[in-house]
Amino acid sequence: MKENWWKALGVIIIIYTFIAGLGAPLKHGISGVNPSSAQTGKLLDLDVVGYNSHYTVGDETMRAWLRMDLANSVDTEEFLIQADKIEVKDERNAQLQFRIPAYLPTTDKVKDFTLIVDNEANGPAVIPQAVFVTQDSINPAAAKAFPSATLDGVHNEWRFAFPYRTILYETIRNTYFHVALWFAMLFLFMRGIWFSGRYLFMGYDPVDDAKAMSFTAVGLLMGMLGLITGAIWATYTWGEPWSNDVKQITTAIALLIYLAYFVLRDAFEDEERRGRVSAVFSVFAFVALLALIYVVPRLTASLHPGNGGNPALGSDDLDNTMRMVFYPCIIGWCLIGAWMANIMWRTRALEIKALDDE
Amino acid sequence: MTILKEIYWLLQKEIVLEWRQKYAISGILLYVLSTVFIVFIASVNPKREVWNSLFWIIVLFASVNAVTKSFVQENGNRQLYYYSLVNPIAILLSKVIYNTLLLLLLSFLSWAAFSFVSGDQVKDTGQFFAALFLGSTGFSVTFTFISAIASKAKNSATLMAILGFPLIIPVLLSLLKISANALRLMNDTNVAADMWTLVAIDFALLGMGILLFPFLWRD
Repeated sequence: MKENWWKALGVIIIIYTFIAGLGAPLKHGISGVNPSSAQTGKLLDLDVVGYNSHYTVGDETMRAWLRMDLANSVDTEEFLIQADKIEVKDERNAQLQFRIPAYLPTTDKVKDFTLIVDNEANGPAVIPQAVFVTQDSINPAAAKAFPSATLDGVHNEWRFAFPYRTILYETIRNTYFHVALWFAMLFLFMRGIWFSGRYLFMGYDPVDDAKAMSFTAVGLLMGMLGLITGAIWATYTWGEPWSNDVKQITTAIALLIYLAYFVLRDAFEDEERRGRVSAVFSVFAFVALLALIYVVPRLTASLHPGNGGNPALGSDDLDNTMRMVFYPCIIGWCLIGAWMANIMWRTRALEIKALDDE
Repeated sequence: MTILKEIYWLLQKEIVLEWRQKYAISGILLYVLSTVFIVFIASVNPKREVWNSLFWIIVLFASVNAVTKSFVQENGNRQLYYYSLVNPIAILLSKVIYNTLLLLLLSFLSWAAFSFVSGDQVKDTGQFFAALFLGSTGFSVTFTFISAIASKAKNSATLMAILGFPLIIPVLLSLLKISANALRLMNDTNVAADMWTLVAIDFALLGMGILLFPFLWRD
């Protein structure tokens, strides 16, 4: 049992991934704002529709602000308007009343405002570009008469919930499957190539060949699962399962290469020859794959995070709660994959031994 | 420098061998002409974007066909004889050089034939020739090595395609970009960087081939 601790760890992490990753709720969000435009010097009645919100619970503590976008602002300080009156209709619906000042501290005719809604039960929800305010006449100096509200006492305490993001919504949980499966695939392919190299340079040990084959096979499985989960995700976020994205193409080619590896293996009957030739191919193919990973992204931009101006992992995409699931789950999927490969090559090693004994 | 001398003699052997059985080279040259004509009939007066991709597809398929035979044509016993006479690396390198020359000839012919039937679309001839040279080298390195792998198995023609095509994609994509620039489909100010990338890929694949070939030829 002592040397098998990593298998138990893998199972525990994967169970944790499923429970926490699928079970934890999304944070409080705003799914609808109406109307989306306003005039200066008038009262604005804003209907908001919440997501995962409990407006009736934190009724008295509820507050809301409109925060002006800082581009072209005359001073660098934030300009906020606090809601005067808040009327909660039910758990998900509320009406906010803002008194929009006659002048805004900006030289822009139309200015976008971020809406922030906060109460004790939900925590804050932030929706950028919620309301566009049109100025009748531009006079930043006169705006001094309307002091900014202050954003204090927001209930920003930590809760085990994932961020609410437009376009992504609940699909954000796929991070723990799609992205983590990729990492596991890379890890398994690397192991496979490592054992291919070992087979060639360490005297053609048939067990090394069995290991190389098993790690590659499980890596292929993880890659296909990654492709499928990615295609499902893309259906909801990019609008179609396949959009010829750079990473989709790279992946498809990588899978083609490793499927060819298995066809090549089947072409030989002699074990030693099969091991040797397929190991040579897998190492050679790895260099071509590295070239591919270097070349393809330079041809077109990608829709994936981290490419073409999209935010990458580790910046806005992952908050601390997500990190608590995301980092362990990469390790978990790698361990589970390694366990599967372990069972595969040990079976193969037993077969080789049985053949030798005959 | 015995290896250079060996490469020289082996190269001479390849050329003499090719010259004695002329059907192989004339077959592949005719293959290019027929393919160009078929493609021309299927897409009369292709636009420049289509011209670019069709041209490289023709060269790609002709290359696979031309290179496949390099290790397959000679039977195992004769190869064993060669390996006992010379350094195996010299055999690989001589075949790579020979195939590069052959593919260069092939791609020039494809370009001439394709320009003849559907008009020359190339605006920057120097850049296009550079693409042809780098392309021939890349195709030759990859397919020669794959042919060495495939020759170890039965049914090597299918194996050539399924093993070779995914591996050639990085070379092909860089080529399409450089030649799109030579056709003025796009105006890339940094085309030199793409060429150096391609040179680097060619060398990386060649280096890997030299490293791995000793494991392959032994039987």
